[in-house]
Amino acid sequence: MSLEIRAAVARATRTVTPLWPLSSFIAVNPLGAHESEDFALATVARPRAAFLADYDRGRITDADLIAAVLERVPELAGAAAVTLGPRVWTAAELVAFELVQADHSRLPAPSAPEPDLVDELVSKWVAAYLDPHPLWQMPHRDRGPWAAWTALARYDPHLPSAARRRLHDLPPTADDGLAIALVRLGVHEGDSELVLQREAQRLPGWVAHIKWRAGHVGDIDMTSYLAIRITLRWSLGLPLPLPLPLPLALALPIPLRGTEPTADPAGARERAATLILTLSGHPGPSDTVARVARILALHPPQLHAFAWQSAYDEHYRRELVTALARTTAVMTTTETSTETTIPSLQVVMCIDPRSEGMRRHLEADPTVETYGFAGFFGVPIRFANYQARGSIDSLPALLSARHSVTEVPTDARQAKRHTTALRVRDAFAAGLHASETTPAAPFALAETLGWFHGATSLLRTLWPDSIRISERLRRSTTPELTTEVTIADAFSLGERAALAETGIRMMGLDRCAPLIILTGHGSTSANNLYQSALDCGACGGNPGAANARAAAAIFNDPQVRRILAERGLPIPSTTLFVAAEHNTVSDRIEILDRQMIPDSHSIAITEFLHTQIIAADRLVRERATQLPGAQRHSLKRLRQRATDWAEVYPELGLVGNAAMIIGPREMSRGVDLERRVFLHSYRPESDPDGSALETIMTAPLVVAQWINHQYYFSTVDQKRWGAGTKTIHNAIGTIGVISGHTGDLKRGLPLQSVAVGNRDLHEAMRLSVLIQAPLERIGAIVSRNQVLRHLFDNNWITLTARDEPNSPWYRYGSYGWTPDLQLGTTQQGE
Amino acid sequence: MDPLTKMTRIEIVIPGREAQPVRELIVSAGATGYTSVSGVSGIGHHGPHSGALLFNEYDTLTMLITVLPPDKAPDLIGAIRRLLDGGPGVMFVADTYVSRPEYFA
Repeated sequence: MSLEIRAAVARATRTVTPLWPLSSFIAVNPLGAHESEDFALATVARPRAAFLADYDRGRITDADLIAAVLERVPELAGAAAVTLGPRVWTAAELVAFELVQADHSRLPAPSAPEPDLVDELVSKWVAAYLDPHPLWQMPHRDRGPWAAWTALARYDPHLPSAARRRLHDLPPTADDGLAIALVRLGVHEGDSELVLQREAQRLPGWVAHIKWRAGHVGDIDMTSYLAIRITLRWSLGLPLPLPLPLPLALALPIPLRGTEPTADPAGARERAATLILTLSGHPGPSDTVARVARILALHPPQLHAFAWQSAYDEHYRRELVTALARTTAVMTTTETSTETTIPSLQVVMCIDPRSEGMRRHLEADPTVETYGFAGFFGVPIRFANYQARGSIDSLPALLSARHSVTEVPTDARQAKRHTTALRVRDAFAAGLHASETTPAAPFALAETLGWFHGATSLLRTLWPDSIRISERLRRSTTPELTTEVTIADAFSLGERAALAETGIRMMGLDRCAPLIILTGHGSTSANNLYQSALDCGACGGNPGAANARAAAAIFNDPQVRRILAERGLPIPSTTLFVAAEHNTVSDRIEILDRQMIPDSHSIAITEFLHTQIIAADRLVRERATQLPGAQRHSLKRLRQRATDWAEVYPELGLVGNAAMIIGPREMSRGVDLERRVFLHSYRPESDPDGSALETIMTAPLVVAQWINHQYYFSTVDQKRWGAGTKTIHNAIGTIGVISGHTGDLKRGLPLQSVAVGNRDLHEAMRLSVLIQAPLERIGAIVSRNQVLRHLFDNNWITLTARDEPNSPWYRYGSYGWTPDLQLGTTQQGE
Repeated sequence: MDPLTKMTRIEIVIPGREAQPVRELIVSAGATGYTSVSGVSGIGHHGPHSGALLFNEYDTLTMLITVLPPDKAPDLIGAIRRLLDGGPGVMFVADTYVSRPEYFA
């Protein structure tokens, strides 16, 4: 019986997308489990009125609509034209016209269910159990959630006495508890899965986090959670939850195929009659109505929302490709590799769209060359700072941590002083914490230190930069520590060489400047529970400094270079790799491990920092045009957002992300991509067997798609997939936030990540992927990887590609590659 | 030498992201262990699968193999059938023989 129950629970929650803890925020597609189904049928898009407003202002054109419907229904191209009134209409034009003129979508307005007593109680208990830093530890926590709850719930004063009496003598295991509660509620075995599904839909945020936690921590599972819910429901005598309306239920396991479009001849005739009346001013003859109805039947109302979305995406995609034609570089790939001079400096940055702005401004210096690579630089590590208590998994969420890296001091005496200072500081912090949490002590604390805290709080509110005083104080009392990362302990020589070779082939680094700067990125902000969402996604929602340091150590390793040379990938002995970190609020780049830079490269570093300061100021100024309330602010004030604890817009993160370009930088250098494009460098010549492209398409591309869909759904519907406004968030330890004092754990991005009030900052678009590589190679990679087949075949993202710089663009669709007539050939330098 | 002892071997091939509930079922069924092979390749009902990917373990197939006494097998087989119904994944069941039965009981 218990196995059957567990199977029912697993099936009921199969399509729940895990929710990572807030401390390592991972952007995910909240409908990721539905990627095996057609995105077009999800009908999850902005309201039709929003698209119509875009149509009126030219953001969507008739050409976009026609291209969108032809892409979805190619048969329209072969349908005969129809004469209505004074003009002849092609089938695609009629379908597009209907989209603008008539609203046949009839989507029910979703509304969230009102929380019931079970929701409130379960939220409280689960939060108490999972909070990693509670004031008081939940009793019996070590026995698991079911045992802890059954031991305590009977004393819960929020429960009526009758319900508490029912909670005596519950079974010892959650499996048995769930099975018995279902029987007591009168649920037949065949209905248990449906009941569990509805129960799981009540608090989708907590359910999603429990799914993550079951797989990564293991201290709670879905069976325990549902056993507590169902047992509570029985004890309170509450009815089973009703099914949710379909669009809301899409947050959980309802298959999209349940909304498969169906032929509706009668409906099509009615639509045709309406359309003809609109176009010609009078009802048409029956044969004309029949012909138009046959055309409209090819594009049923269930696809209308998707058509609008496709047209919206199509407009951007066409503009993007057109912009690429304006690249200043006119070199062919081969010329770039062999005939140009070696640049003075190469900067490798994360594919994150925010890097695009920095790369563009750095490239104002023509001797600087930049590359895009996933921000973990191909080195997946679990990293712990010197003498740190914990560690971070600094790697994509697609991987498990297997290599632990820490750092060792290069100066023993310095390390000793550093450790002593840290111990003093920790002792002070522990004493303060004890005073805050010990009963009665807080009163004495408030009497003695309250005035000081009050004054410093006021000072910090009025003068955000005052935080720098305490930072300076901390630095002066804790000596700077110089360290090296222990990369050789974590990876064998063979592994290090393989990582380096993979990196070189993936980004097409076919020549080396004397100085190559590997630049990770991180963000700083105060009082921001979502800071992790602004750090590097490829590093598991952590700053990328550790990975940049590890990668630089690998590339500078003489033994690794010897192996690379044997494999035909020589790195000159004069080339130095240096780690750095880009702060995406100040746009300053900090050089790391400076003690390891030899004198031979110190001048080049100084020159880079000079170039970077200019680029940073330009970029901050550029970003200010979008940052709410920032237009007239000075550079200093803009950078102060990092320390202002009242600031809800320290930066805009990846807002606006819309495309990914995989190809050499010559494709896009000189074009202002407005920090909207993930840029991954790639040269087919450096990747003879295509394995590097396969790695790019199955990892960085997938991560970019997760991010893109997180932004998409958080924008399209904040209530269902967004976290709501930051201003009323309360943290549950480091695992997540709730709005107010109780309720569901929030999923997705907060309102301030995608909008200002009612105005969207983010344009909700599906990722347009552009690749420059042999089409045959791309097609083969898509064919053998189910994750890519799902994404491209089911319209979750789009793929456009060309073989070479001068080749025509092709669109990947249901029928394979088709020439993209909208784009044609957009040669570099046109 | 003692004869080999008959056991039931169950193999499940399932997307890596959906493997966790199967592991839980195996443990709940009283199996003393299982073998997990990630990144398995091949061609199946849903087309080709390329196998191990360098930087993505999440979207590859995983094969879980467990061996348990025949009397414990039916419950697990029934539960996994129910779990797989309507979703991706396949299960293979076969008799097998082991030399050290105490490892599996």
